[in-house]
Amino acid sequence: MPGLRSYTRILISLVLLGASVLSHAQTGSSIPSYEDGLLTVPRVDVEGYGSLQLQLNLQDESSLTFALYSAVAAEPSLTPGATYGLDTSILSIPLVQAGTEFYALQLQLTPQELFQVIAADVTKLPGQDEYNSQCASCHGVNGQGGLVAVSLVNCANCGDSNTLINYIANVMPLGAPGSCVDACAEDVANYLLTLFQVDDSPLITQTVSALQLMPLEDTLRKASLQLASRLPTDTELGIVATNGEAGLSSVLDSLMTEDTFYERIMEMFNDLILTDRYLSGNGLPAEALNLMRIFPDAFWFGDPQSAERSDDFFSNLVTTNDSVAREPLQLIRFIVENELPMTEILTADYFMVNPYSAKSYGVFDELSFQNEFDANEWLPAQLNALEISTRQGSFLVGDIPHAGLLTSLMFLNRYPTSDTNRNRGRSRVVYDLFLDVDILALEGTRPDGEAVDISSQAPTLDNDDCVVCHGLLDPVASSFENWNDRGFYVPNLPWYDDMFQAGFAGIDRPQDQEPTSLQWLASQLALDPRFDDAMVRITYSGLVGREPLDPPGEDGTEAEWNAYNAESVHLDELKDKFVADNQNLKTLIKEIVLSPYWRAEGLDNTSFAIVHEETGAARLLSPEMLHRKINALLGFEWRSTLDFYSITKDINAQARLLDDNQFYQQIYGGIDSFVVTERLTEPNGLMVAVQERMANELACYAVPNDFLAPASERLLLPHVEIGTQPNNASNIQAIKTNIQHLHAHLLGEQLAIDDAEIEASYELFSNVLADGQAAIGITETGNLPNLCRRNRDIQTGENLAQPLIADSNYTIRAWMAVAAYLMSDYRFVYE
Amino acid sequence: MKRRNFLKTLTGFGVAGILPMSLVRPAFGATPDRFLITISATGGWDPTSLIDPKGDAQRSDGLGPVNNYSASEIKSAGNILYAPYPNTVEGPAGDSSGHFDNFFAKHYQRLLVINGIDTQTNGHDSGRRFVWSGKLEEGYPTIAALAAAPYADQPMAFISNGGYDFTASLVAPVRTSGAATFTQLAYPNSQFPGDPDLQGLGFFSTASYSAIQQAREQRLTRLRVAESLPKRQRQMDQLQTVRNTDVELQTLLNYLPDEVSDGLQGQAEIALAAFASGLAVSANLNAGGFDTHGDHDADHTNSLTQLLEGIDHLWDQIEAQGLQDKVTVVVGSDFGRTPFYNEGDGKDHWNITSIMAMGAGITGNRVIGATDENFEALTLNPSNLQLDNNGIFITPQHIHRSLRDFLGVTAELDKLFPIGAEKLDLFG
Repeated sequence: MPGLRSYTRILISLVLLGASVLSHAQTGSSIPSYEDGLLTVPRVDVEGYGSLQLQLNLQDESSLTFALYSAVAAEPSLTPGATYGLDTSILSIPLVQAGTEFYALQLQLTPQELFQVIAADVTKLPGQDEYNSQCASCHGVNGQGGLVAVSLVNCANCGDSNTLINYIANVMPLGAPGSCVDACAEDVANYLLTLFQVDDSPLITQTVSALQLMPLEDTLRKASLQLASRLPTDTELGIVATNGEAGLSSVLDSLMTEDTFYERIMEMFNDLILTDRYLSGNGLPAEALNLMRIFPDAFWFGDPQSAERSDDFFSNLVTTNDSVAREPLQLIRFIVENELPMTEILTADYFMVNPYSAKSYGVFDELSFQNEFDANEWLPAQLNALEISTRQGSFLVGDIPHAGLLTSLMFLNRYPTSDTNRNRGRSRVVYDLFLDVDILALEGTRPDGEAVDISSQAPTLDNDDCVVCHGLLDPVASSFENWNDRGFYVPNLPWYDDMFQAGFAGIDRPQDQEPTSLQWLASQLALDPRFDDAMVRITYSGLVGREPLDPPGEDGTEAEWNAYNAESVHLDELKDKFVADNQNLKTLIKEIVLSPYWRAEGLDNTSFAIVHEETGAARLLSPEMLHRKINALLGFEWRSTLDFYSITKDINAQARLLDDNQFYQQIYGGIDSFVVTERLTEPNGLMVAVQERMANELACYAVPNDFLAPASERLLLPHVEIGTQPNNASNIQAIKTNIQHLHAHLLGEQLAIDDAEIEASYELFSNVLADGQAAIGITETGNLPNLCRRNRDIQTGENLAQPLIADSNYTIRAWMAVAAYLMSDYRFVYE
Repeated sequence: MKRRNFLKTLTGFGVAGILPMSLVRPAFGATPDRFLITISATGGWDPTSLIDPKGDAQRSDGLGPVNNYSASEIKSAGNILYAPYPNTVEGPAGDSSGHFDNFFAKHYQRLLVINGIDTQTNGHDSGRRFVWSGKLEEGYPTIAALAAAPYADQPMAFISNGGYDFTASLVAPVRTSGAATFTQLAYPNSQFPGDPDLQGLGFFSTASYSAIQQAREQRLTRLRVAESLPKRQRQMDQLQTVRNTDVELQTLLNYLPDEVSDGLQGQAEIALAAFASGLAVSANLNAGGFDTHGDHDADHTNSLTQLLEGIDHLWDQIEAQGLQDKVTVVVGSDFGRTPFYNEGDGKDHWNITSIMAMGAGITGNRVIGATDENFEALTLNPSNLQLDNNGIFITPQHIHRSLRDFLGVTAELDKLFPIGAEKLDLFG
């Protein structure tokens, strides 16, 4: 048996070559493959000798001969992909994947100890043709997914084989269910479960190991600022220092119980559902109330048409309007706060009210509010039975079948419908927000420059070009059939018969559930694994500051595919943890914060630069986030001079970064949830000017104000006094120590006292001080600039017993310069 | 994909400083001498209520009339037909610059109307995307961004007032606010920017402020050198690029009225001041209120009045700044509205629409394209642009193919965001 002897000899010698060669043999797929001259066979069964994993290297293209490149023991769990006949010296491989094609190969071991191809026939996997014709346009030939379809690689949503077969048969392809049933569904399921199973753990390990992660202490600071709009306390830092990642985890749990965290969650979700469009600050003062004005008590605080108004009419109007407008976001908050499954944002059989909106909806008396004037007290409620007759007909505005956001008056009005739209707009939003499916991406299949033929009676039912979208859209749209264009419940009206009827994912809505059609839809959406994908996408985008990567496309580079695949695996892991903890959003947030993708702050290996081109959570802070960060670091918000802060702090519209009319909310890239719905994420010339003015004004306000407090209570200048000048070693040390503190406090930089950055800041301080002192009496005075003088208490507005006006030795202004320098820094305006 | 890869190579804004000049600079020079304003009548306007009038003949399918005015009342100004006001509403005041009679009498000689454009969609987002980028697909920049791309190193090259303002990172969109805000930002070191007498009082002395700025730039350079994470590198590059661009907002202030108007007129004033001061090259303006699913006649009349008042004011601003030979204006909308009324006297979404254009390079008093009595698009001969049963439907692709050529979008940028439609000479 010369063949076997030489084979074994080669095998032994190769094993002795060591890991550098053997590492080439790593693969988790069971299917033999050919790529770049290398034929990899994950498992070859050799009768009597067990199983081997082989790699053969192409030696001669013309004769199709291969040399043995590596051989190791095969993973026993792998499916046998080839056999070697001891008597024939033939290696038989029934299926080899070469790109998107498959071959059956036979290779003969030659006396020269080479393997020569003696038979090569094109073959196919069962289900391959069906997959390529019906699935690949959305899921990709290699299953990587696309804009309208999830990745099928190691398919996280597939479940077991039977589940997948049923899903394919009943739901897929989107828009044309029933096109692949029985044997077709079974073959396609087996095809993708076999072909797209890849052991990508080596890739993930390599990818993640290239990252430098920020220390846990820095992670805590970043998480505290982003999630709770404050700095971590010393106690919390101690917990992390003592207990490491477990400590960080417990501190995060605590952070995620604070009001500011829930505000951030609502802001994050509003970026997508955009119901803040009805807040009085984003439009007319009563936009939300006008939508519900058919409720008898909508304007419970006074008739807006009446000339006689109470003193608190306007404040009641704004508070009540905003309470009504915030109802859908408060539902999300309630579910997150109580750690309920996130599916309840769709399945909740209640809505949220506070004392103000409860009065408008007429449910105040049934609820037990602790303080009827506390707009922050929210309770779940159900609307009482109440039928209203208007010119447009009778509406049941109470005793309605609540279905979370789907039946929210604000949500339904934000995404209106019409007689011709027939709730399709609402359906599109449901797919986008709650199933992570962008139906509009399907439009790319339309032929360029040709109008769609709509000559038939019901093209959305019988024209394939139309059915692609409408087969998906319309069953969901029809499920909204009881909810009219104004968001009110109007059951038992006839529905259109020239469109797909209510249903979801190939299942018709049961007839007896017609009155509660949206509740039925919500229950179906809650079962769909794509809902979890959607929650991961929303949360990941909100925290990281960008959408997950799209598949790179057919001409994507290997690095781009690696980046996409690694992130996809990461997102699947996040989803698994989210699902395992009862779809608790806090768990998802914590896992994201603890993940290397969020904690990345550098690369150890520059060869991964393209793979990690988008990695990391660094982002230009939104105007709202920057506003909160300023408050967290300085103890006051950026509004106007601190002498008038006690007045302006109560006027939200005066906040420089929140006001879109007189100030900078729009300029700095904010949204009004109506006309402007996309945030700017990259700076422009005006935004940089905002940063500059912000740094100057805040330095002017914060530095003198800090000196008013005892050193132990100061946020910025605890190590120096106004009289501390760099005229002796002790003072120089104190000044540098304070600069060190400022870098840590304002930028989160933990620097050694002799760090070059400390020196650079010290040099700025010294130069400004020296130049300023020299100019006093010439171009400078011994007093602070007018707006930087402190005459009044910032909280009460009362005159200070000892105003701070003089800066006779220029130290305050020198510190202002350092503060302005740091507060316009990259690490201040980005986080 | 190639497009995305290409853009990945750009490290921050200011493509003109990074790419070969031949790729981004138009032939006509290093400083802009052509400006573009796009005006979006957001929500989907009804051309039959303005520049493609039909009248109140009953439709044969029983859906009623297209419009609530008689066909015999349809008016004209030169070659341009325009609608009378519906008999269900009272038009605006006779002296309103947005009154149809006044507007068309004043502007018809500079107006180009293109009717019968098939947007192939009735979704707002996709409609806006198609009408302003020329593609239904995502990922294509608005024409205003393409026009501004060669001048991306200018601080306000592309001013966006919302709507479809995707730029594909060719240029940073800038959002604006009132005149007082510009003053604050024009003098970031001034304690009292709005008071000419006190404007010179800074938070910092000139010497101190210079030291701060110098230290800030040096630190950003140090951070950038030490940074290894690509995303942060890119962010620092962008910040540095933008910071190194002189924002001569003081110049802008010289061209702004003392009181900037509200709404579309205010958007026009800021855009023109930015053009005149050399800070901007293009702007998208936004006028809302066109999604009239209920009470169409009254609401649409009101919105059209405001739109035309805004356009008229814009033109006055263009002339006041002496830019009438340099500014091109294109007015369009998401799509059109149904050629019949719904039960709430409203009109719903319809895929056929029109655009208007005026200004630099546009030969006015012309109408291209047409629709039939039911507001269905008719086909055109692509060579002579006359109606032709064997011709083609005009889509936003044709509009943008022609508009790009007209505006001088470079071949390289055009190739980066290709539009595969016949070349029609719509704007020449």
